[in-house]
Amino acid sequence: MLAEHLEGNVRFLESVNTWEDAIKEAASPLLYKGSITPEYIDAMINNVHTNGPYIVIVPGIAMPHAKNENNVVKTDVSLLKLEQSVQFPEDKEVNILFVLAAEDSDGHLDLISDLSSVLIEDEVKEKLENSTSEQEILDLLETVE
Amino acid sequence: MENSARETNVVEMNQNTPSTRAKVQAFGGFLTNMVLPNIGAFIAWGLLTALFIPTGWIPNEELAQIVEPAIVYLLPLLLAITGGRMVAGQRGAVMGAIGAIGLIVGSDIPMFLGAMVIGPLGGWVIKKFDNAMENRIPAGFEMIVNNFSLGILGFLLMILSFYFIGPVIESANNFVTASIEALVATGLLPLLSLINEPAKVLFLNNVIDQGIYYPLGMQAAAETGKSIYFTVASNPGPGLGLLMAFTFFGGKTARRTAPGASIIHFFGGIHELYFPYVLMKPLTILGMIAGGMSGIAVFSLFDAGLVAGPSPGSIFAYLGLTPKGSFVGILAGVLVSAVVTFFVTALILKMGKNSEEDEELSESIEKSKSMKQEGKQIYTSSKKDKSIDKISFACDAGAGSSALGATTFRKKLKKKGIEGIEVKHYRIEDAPQDSDVIVVHKDLLERAKIAHNDKEIITIENYINDPNLEPLMERLESSRS
Repeated sequence: MLAEHLEGNVRFLESVNTWEDAIKEAASPLLYKGSITPEYIDAMINNVHTNGPYIVIVPGIAMPHAKNENNVVKTDVSLLKLEQSVQFPEDKEVNILFVLAAEDSDGHLDLISDLSSVLIEDEVKEKLENSTSEQEILDLLETVE
Repeated sequence: MENSARETNVVEMNQNTPSTRAKVQAFGGFLTNMVLPNIGAFIAWGLLTALFIPTGWIPNEELAQIVEPAIVYLLPLLLAITGGRMVAGQRGAVMGAIGAIGLIVGSDIPMFLGAMVIGPLGGWVIKKFDNAMENRIPAGFEMIVNNFSLGILGFLLMILSFYFIGPVIESANNFVTASIEALVATGLLPLLSLINEPAKVLFLNNVIDQGIYYPLGMQAAAETGKSIYFTVASNPGPGLGLLMAFTFFGGKTARRTAPGASIIHFFGGIHELYFPYVLMKPLTILGMIAGGMSGIAVFSLFDAGLVAGPSPGSIFAYLGLTPKGSFVGILAGVLVSAVVTFFVTALILKMGKNSEEDEELSESIEKSKSMKQEGKQIYTSSKKDKSIDKISFACDAGAGSSALGATTFRKKLKKKGIEGIEVKHYRIEDAPQDSDVIVVHKDLLERAKIAHNDKEIITIENYINDPNLEPLMERLESSRS
């Protein structure tokens, strides 16, 4: 499920300047495909401004998301891997961003469940951190689903 | 594992709270939480009524049209929505409102108490249903099942409450009428307060005033020019005493709203303004009864009475309808009843408050302790003595990170073979009131505390493997094995 959604939405970058840029870059495949509107990107950034960097779900990995206020067209996910980590507020270093765009509050739960399976196993998480191509990541996700 | 040792200490500290007391307090807190957020609506309605009804300050026929719908629909629905939300979040709120509309249309008096029962009941029904269906809905069908289950159950609740409430009101009316007639026959008029005061708060005041006391009063007034019956249920003194007691000895929020309510009540004559305070702390009805009794006793002592039924029951209407020679008696009766109610209510509030203060104190001690523990923010509060079977992960939208946290925690429980614990995700404000533990990100603690101050809140920074969740897992393991 997760792998299916991620196909074509994975990007690798050397580095970005700010965490705001990181979120923009990470979400760009979704914007390009029309799954979200530009407002959703602003909403994700504002979410961090208002509520703090709680979207950094485990050290090194962030899951930018926001409430759907008519700016998510279709439930979708994308992933950005940075060679050099970027700093989120409160000095949180992040090198993997997993953008979540959920149409309603239920439809995306199996995506989240898959993500949880990836992160819960240290071994799988490590592989994710060391992966260098989209195919590698997709194959890895398929093993846990 | 220094972490878990500390946690056990806190648990033991809290275990010496007797659970019945805790339960009574929890219930009292529940009533307060259901009423207090809506006081503003009561005040808005009170101002509108005091100003614009035909006997108000600046009568306005057009604006007065709002009075009736607001008290019949708006206020009870607000109570039912708040009550439902406290039990089962937004779905509970919807269910509570659906149930309440059945009650409202099925009866011809404002359904405050009814709404305070049906709201939480509706929430409970949908919660039970959701629990039973959890994990059984095929993926992709959640929306349709959720909407239709709420729709169908609400439809049934609406009809049930509609047919149920009519007979209940009728028998309550009959009971009140029969009791009052029996009491009048004994000649011991102060005893009337025993029926009057509870009946007023339940909105049977029109039944008793216009149905019984005014006819009795008009008979007497036709003969002697005045009657005490006009005063027995309309005396604004006890309500004033009650609101003053809340002003000085009530909880934080009640203390701030009571002065305004007392002005609308005493000068505007809108007695409904004090009803929510009684509903919030039902024991204070004793203060109302004591005040009402002493008021009637003083009125009869001075042989005082009014020339007609005061409506609304404001101090100005009282003075305007007092015949010559009754002024001293009427003023003394109002004053005495206010003073008596003030002292009795103050005593009741103080008794209740001591234990609350104890708790607040112990809470703040625990809080400062946990704050000292560098970097670990375990915010603990009173509700620890009970076994844990409902854990709510909460975040801003209730869809992303909280869902990740809850899913992961469920997986871990499953791995350890721990069953029967409900782990779900919510928007912070929608996390159900009966959650045993609330888990939030540390950046959202302040918001979680506002919504769930009486609960155990665990803060995390890592949704997958946070050290603060380990003691919780250990507690679950030891209590289930």
